[in-house]
Amino acid sequence: MLRFTIERLVGMAVTMLLVSMMVFIIMELPPGDYADRYAFRKYSGTGVSVTEADIQAIRVELGLDKPMVLRYFDWIGNIVLRGDFGQAFAFETSVVKVIGDKVWLTLAILFTTLIITYVVSIPIGIYAAVKRGSAADYGLTIFSYLGLALPNFLLALILLYFANRWFGADIGGLFSAEYKDAPWSLAKAWDLIKHLWLPAVVLAWSAVAYQIQTMRATMSDELNRLSVTAARARGVPEGKLLIKYPARLAINPIVSTIGFDVNRIFSELPIVAAVLGLTELGELLLKAYLDLDMYVAGAILLLLTFMIVFMNFLSDILLAWLDPRIKLGA
Amino acid sequence: MLNVENLSISFGTDEGLITPVQGVSFSVEAGKTLGLVGESGSGKSITTKALMRLLPGNARLSPETRITYRAKNGKEIQVEKIKPHSRALRSLRGGEIGMIFQEPMASFSPVYSVGNQMVEAIRLHRGCGKREARELAVEMLQKVGISNAAVRIDQYPHEMSGGMRQRAMIALALSAGPALLIADEPTTALDVTIQAQVLDLMRELQRDLGMAMIFITHDLGVIAQIADEVAVMYLGTIVERGATRDVIRDPKHPYTQGLLKAIPSLETLHDRLSPVPGDIPSPTERPSGCPFHTRCPDAINNICNIKTPVELTPAPGRAVRCWLHDEAQSGRSAA
Repeated sequence: MLRFTIERLVGMAVTMLLVSMMVFIIMELPPGDYADRYAFRKYSGTGVSVTEADIQAIRVELGLDKPMVLRYFDWIGNIVLRGDFGQAFAFETSVVKVIGDKVWLTLAILFTTLIITYVVSIPIGIYAAVKRGSAADYGLTIFSYLGLALPNFLLALILLYFANRWFGADIGGLFSAEYKDAPWSLAKAWDLIKHLWLPAVVLAWSAVAYQIQTMRATMSDELNRLSVTAARARGVPEGKLLIKYPARLAINPIVSTIGFDVNRIFSELPIVAAVLGLTELGELLLKAYLDLDMYVAGAILLLLTFMIVFMNFLSDILLAWLDPRIKLGA
Repeated sequence: MLNVENLSISFGTDEGLITPVQGVSFSVEAGKTLGLVGESGSGKSITTKALMRLLPGNARLSPETRITYRAKNGKEIQVEKIKPHSRALRSLRGGEIGMIFQEPMASFSPVYSVGNQMVEAIRLHRGCGKREARELAVEMLQKVGISNAAVRIDQYPHEMSGGMRQRAMIALALSAGPALLIADEPTTALDVTIQAQVLDLMRELQRDLGMAMIFITHDLGVIAQIADEVAVMYLGTIVERGATRDVIRDPKHPYTQGLLKAIPSLETLHDRLSPVPGDIPSPTERPSGCPFHTRCPDAINNICNIKTPVELTPAPGRAVRCWLHDEAQSGRSAA
């Protein structure tokens, strides 16, 4: 297992290196750079004519005149060695300050969503497979197709309405007004949890629906295996039997797609965040693109891809733990 | 120790109710081996699954079914009445009746070591600690002829060879200490040489442990080597029963006769094999009368295709369901 983990870690490092290069290239791709943008904003409508030399001066000031390869190594070196993601030009401060809190809030939403997804879908999928063909099974299937068909933003609106109407929950945001700018405390954390469930449920909804179907299908296959009958014939109690024998294998496709789920959550987050008035990274990413504020955009992209790569690593390790044949190379 | 009377199993399917096992009766005595013979689809496996209540949810036992099992502590258990999920059923499965299957690879879970699954079974039925269970498991693996058992126990099923897996499967079933072992075609998937080894091993273990055995196979040759008594199944009914030696020397039912003729032999190398003609009909289209009349070379017109034969006793200790042995119907001597 140790060897397998180290191999995967090395693989992850290589992937991250390649991804960071790609992110940097993507950052460079849009025509023009922040210097153009800055000059345009500062002087447009003032009647001052800006020459190429002026823009070049801004470039030198911001360090944008160096060759691309050099800037890449400066950038990645600072991130790895000092945790410094560079300068946020538009905010005239460091990237870390700009994205700081938003990173943690985004991660909080991400993990809450993942936990809700798996905690709900896996047991329900197992139950539906065991009770296959029963009224409960059909009911759950209908529910899960509804889940797949309903668009996220609509669900967000509906849930928001009922949460406010019935539970008196705040509308929108991740914090109540009194905690918004307060320093971190236990009370603030609890306030966050109270606000977090709504976006997490919205984001988890379709994944739950999808994963119930996945779990139900693979579990039904696994239940028919001879090894399950054989274990039953040895007198293993049914509850323990279901988890130890078929479920452990049936969970495989869900674990192997954790990375996809993370990816999907990131792509759906901005729409849900817009409806629910959340502060998260997606919105900032969009703004950074528009401003050509490349280090902000780069930092966000890098963090998101790192999360996906890391979750893929985690799913590899989990898979090997679930099925020892994987690490034995059989 | 085991007495089965009137076992009938039906399944509710999309095509209606089918009854793959009808009115099967047999008994197994302590320490003896019953051979259950028949082609694929004759209901052998389902019959034995019913003994351990391992049938799928859509299966129903008929109300006349009586399965009486005498447990190791002397108590009689009505198997057909045990509640599902009860402790009684769990101790019957594995602890009283063990089962081994045709495919050792598929009957082990691939994600646990052989030892893990053995220790689990031992702890369930013998109520001992982990360490003790492990020692017992190693001992059991040695007993079935697995060398280097202390290392092998931590291997996964895919790390073993076919013959070794079947030995491990036998060890797994026996480790819980059953008094009756049901072996569902345990040698079919093995090479001929390994087949003989496994048969020898099973005979030996049976003698050492004093357990009874139900041995399912389609191979009468295997039955001749291992079984004390034999029951020949065709389309869900037992068509002939008796001591193995008698049945093989002097088969009474045309189906048994056909099966015996179909065994390849070195002495008749130049003759073509004579298979039983035709295929076994599907349980959904069971022939009327005697189920075998569609393939029977000696079928009596207007009797066999109309009336279902009753069980007759052509000789002491023998039973056969065939009108040929009924004087009133065939006009022939029953002997």
